[in-house]
Amino acid sequence: MGVRVTSGRSLLAAMMGVGMALGAQAANVPDLGPLPPIKVNKAKAELGKRLFFDKRLSGDAAIACATCHDPKQGWTQNKPLSDGYPGNGHFRNSPTMVNVAHKKVWNHDGRIGTGLNDMTREMITEDYIMNMDMRIMQERVKQDPVYLKMFKDAGYGEPSNGKVRKAIPEYLKSLTSQNAPFDTGKMSKSAKRGLTLFKGKGGCIQCHNGPLATDEKAHNTGVPENFDVFLDPNNHQAFIAFAMFQGIENFMNIKRDPGYYNVTMDSADVGKFITPSLRELKYTAPYMHNGMLKTLNDVVAFYNMGGGMDSKKSSLLKPLGLSKAEQKDLVAFLLSLSGDQLTSAKYVWQGAYPAEYPVIENWKNVRN
Amino acid sequence: MKHVIKFRPVLLATIAGALIATGCIAQEPKKGMSGPPPLAPLGPPPIPADNLLSPAKIELGKYLFFDPRLGGDASTGCSTCHEPDQGWSWAEDISRGYPGTVHWRSNQTIINAAYYSKLFWAGSSKSLESQAKSASKGGVAGNGETDIMEARLSLIPKYVELNKKAFGTEWPLLQDAYRAIASFERTLVQRDTPLDKYLLGDKSALSEEQIRGKKVFEGKGACIQCHNGALASDENYYNIGVPGVKRWEEDGLAQITFRFEIYAKGSTEEMYRTIKDDPGAYFRGKNKWDMGKFRTPSLRYAIYTAPYMHSGQFDTLDDVVDFYNAGGVAADGRTTSFPKTKSPLIKPLGLTDGEKSDLVAFIEAFSGDEIMMEKPELPPYAARFSKAELQAAQEAK
Ligand code: HEC
Ligand code: HEC
Ligand code: HEC
Ligand code: HEC
Repeated sequence: MGVRVTSGRSLLAAMMGVGMALGAQAANVPDLGPLPPIKVNKAKAELGKRLFFDKRLSGDAAIACATCHDPKQGWTQNKPLSDGYPGNGHFRNSPTMVNVAHKKVWNHDGRIGTGLNDMTREMITEDYIMNMDMRIMQERVKQDPVYLKMFKDAGYGEPSNGKVRKAIPEYLKSLTSQNAPFDTGKMSKSAKRGLTLFKGKGGCIQCHNGPLATDEKAHNTGVPENFDVFLDPNNHQAFIAFAMFQGIENFMNIKRDPGYYNVTMDSADVGKFITPSLRELKYTAPYMHNGMLKTLNDVVAFYNMGGGMDSKKSSLLKPLGLSKAEQKDLVAFLLSLSGDQLTSAKYVWQGAYPAEYPVIENWKNVRN
Repeated sequence: MKHVIKFRPVLLATIAGALIATGCIAQEPKKGMSGPPPLAPLGPPPIPADNLLSPAKIELGKYLFFDPRLGGDASTGCSTCHEPDQGWSWAEDISRGYPGTVHWRSNQTIINAAYYSKLFWAGSSKSLESQAKSASKGGVAGNGETDIMEARLSLIPKYVELNKKAFGTEWPLLQDAYRAIASFERTLVQRDTPLDKYLLGDKSALSEEQIRGKKVFEGKGACIQCHNGALASDENYYNIGVPGVKRWEEDGLAQITFRFEIYAKGSTEEMYRTIKDDPGAYFRGKNKWDMGKFRTPSLRYAIYTAPYMHSGQFDTLDDVVDFYNAGGVAADGRTTSFPKTKSPLIKPLGLTDGEKSDLVAFIEAFSGDEIMMEKPELPPYAARFSKAELQAAQEAK
């Protein structure tokens, strides 16, 4: 079940008119700032790390979490639409895993608001993601002596699918921004000017606020549809399956991503998406739920025009009248929210996986 | 979205207890004056009133049977495992599985499956229609999910068209796809074997050897007790002593599937921990006396479907006959792990070498020509909307 968001916020903004969008507002939203520390259990996270990179967690053992959330591509895939499970495509951009443990709402449409445990279950079991029968997964994990030891060392005892869904979120907690200039204070002059625009003339802080630079609420910014969702049957079939499963009516005929409507089933929410975090953008192009904007320059230009075309677009978005130089500064600021690339062994599982499942010796005489 | 089932041994134990009341799956044949029904020529297959045959259904069903898009990663369809070149079955001890898995039972041929009232080695499926559903969705078979498979069919214009002709709906429904596949399977029958011809009066259709073998089959070998009637199956369930899959002791992948099946089919914690063989029909009613029992298979088309038995432990019909001659024990001494439920009908036969080879020759008379079929060229996907339509929708936002 997703979370439900009251629409009071945008209503209020609409009543207050243009002045609101132009920046006298900073006082009533949480400020940007450093991320709070997260405690991570080392043994459990280490186990989660091995699982995250293990292809045996997918139905046909062909893809891992890391296939679509690739550390070398900013823990996403640097293309507009994510891969799907073999035989399928996908209809949205793959989000980064960095700072994902700091969020409270997940997926572009915000349909999961309970926790990363449920998010992990959805990723493993969804037919166009990993298409895994968790009962088979559990027996696969139990067949690997390395896992038997790691589960024990982590205090989990015998492997089970429930514990897999605990270990992976524990690992995700270890993926957080490191040494972003914004956090270390080593921002360039241009980035500092950008910060002022972000909070002021740009009006970005209205939605992108708090330590993650997101209100985790849904807004319609008018991002154009990515036609490849519908023109490529591999993507379209995943979209249809998604809509069918979510109970979205008329799924054979819709020509747009319903976004947050999926959570509320309120037509006012069609085309709204959850405000994404702005951390680590340096590594995660292209942007938006469907990858329609290639670069941060494009994103800033998009906002400068007042967002895209949509009759239900948020009234918080208005043409900004930013100069070329101001746009540059804003991009410099956005980049200052990106830290080190998390590609070292500290974050990425380096070990090999056995090419075959080891046999349990003396099988007839040992307990299953 | 797949189901996530938590292991609840206590709950399952209760369910198992409740099911004890539902009675036997398998019964020993009634001993009467009349004896078992004689072998007979095979008539046309039964066609269920709620799924009558039509050319459009059969055509659609044929495509779907050969189309791997009816499976999780679009690689493993019905014909991937039921290979026409391998007797519409799979020629290994246990069947190949979905990629990344192996199955836990021997594959069964599609030829003449239309005649059985219950499908699978343990009879767990009531119709070809519901069998096709289990096959396309099962984790070690097709591993497909309804929503994605239905979405795929809807994006293949040829299937939309055939489906409309066959079932009348605008968009294909998976349940109708299964009905189409079942209709196609009902055309995969063989009724002109040497034995059929013989029984219809052509006395030259069997060799001398085969005629002698028929006597052994009906007499000293007593095969007719279970392999009787037109299908050469009484459709009853027995433990005849077949040993479990040897590969479970030697192959990690096979060990995974073994535990998965035991777990998924519903076991108590203790059973899950200790069992080392396939309990077969037990899973249907959770009755101890059904442990290790399997459906008597037809002997038709058998020359093309080696290896034999639910666990595929016998490579040749000679091995099968040796096994029966020894009273249900394999040449290497292996036998069922459930000796308590073994059928009293299975005992050493004392057949001579001549009688054994006659019997094998007779079993061969249950098979006619090999049924081959060219795989249909599979129709492509097409985009549902044109760019112009998408553009218009975009502008209307
Ligand atoms: C086939 C590609 C693919 C695979 C494999 C995959 N994901 Fe995802 N993941 C996605 C896409 C695409 C989304 C966005 C879905 C949406 O918004 O509807 C996503 C979303 C997420 C999110 C939510 C992120 C956010 O900011 O809201 C998390 C967490 C996540 N995935 C974790 C995982 C884990 C853990 C695994 C492995 C168990 C995994 N993913 C495997 C493609 C994939
Ligand atoms: C009305 C709320 C709102 C305002 C104001 C707003 N944004 Fe956004 N922003 C969003 C939403 C919602 C998305 C996601 C839209 C989508 O995926 O279709 C987004 C996406 C983005 C992204 C893409 C992130 C990614 O990972 O794909 C960037 C970059 C961004 N915004 C920067 C800005 C900047 C810079 C400003 C100010 C000029 C700004 N935003 C103003 C709500 C807002
Ligand atoms: C991964 C391999 C695999 C795939 C794919 C597969 N099957 Fe099977 N099939 C088997 C095995 C193994 C059995 C015996 C299983 C058992 O008894 O538990 C079987 C049994 C059957 C039977 C029962 C025959 C009898 O005598 O009772 C039928 C009918 C059948 N399959 C049809 C299909 C159809 C239709 C499809 C496609 C929708 C399909 N199969 C896909 C492996 C497969
Ligand atoms: C008590 C009933 C019974 C009797 C008697 C019996 N069978 Fe069977 N037969 C079965 C059952 C049940 C199976 C499947 C057992 C299994 O897989 O565990 C089977 C399997 C077979 C198979 C393998 C078919 C396949 O597709 O794998 C052959 C061949 C066979 N029997 C031949 C014979 C012959 C020849 C005789 C007589 C010597 C005989 N049977 C006597 C019940 C019987």
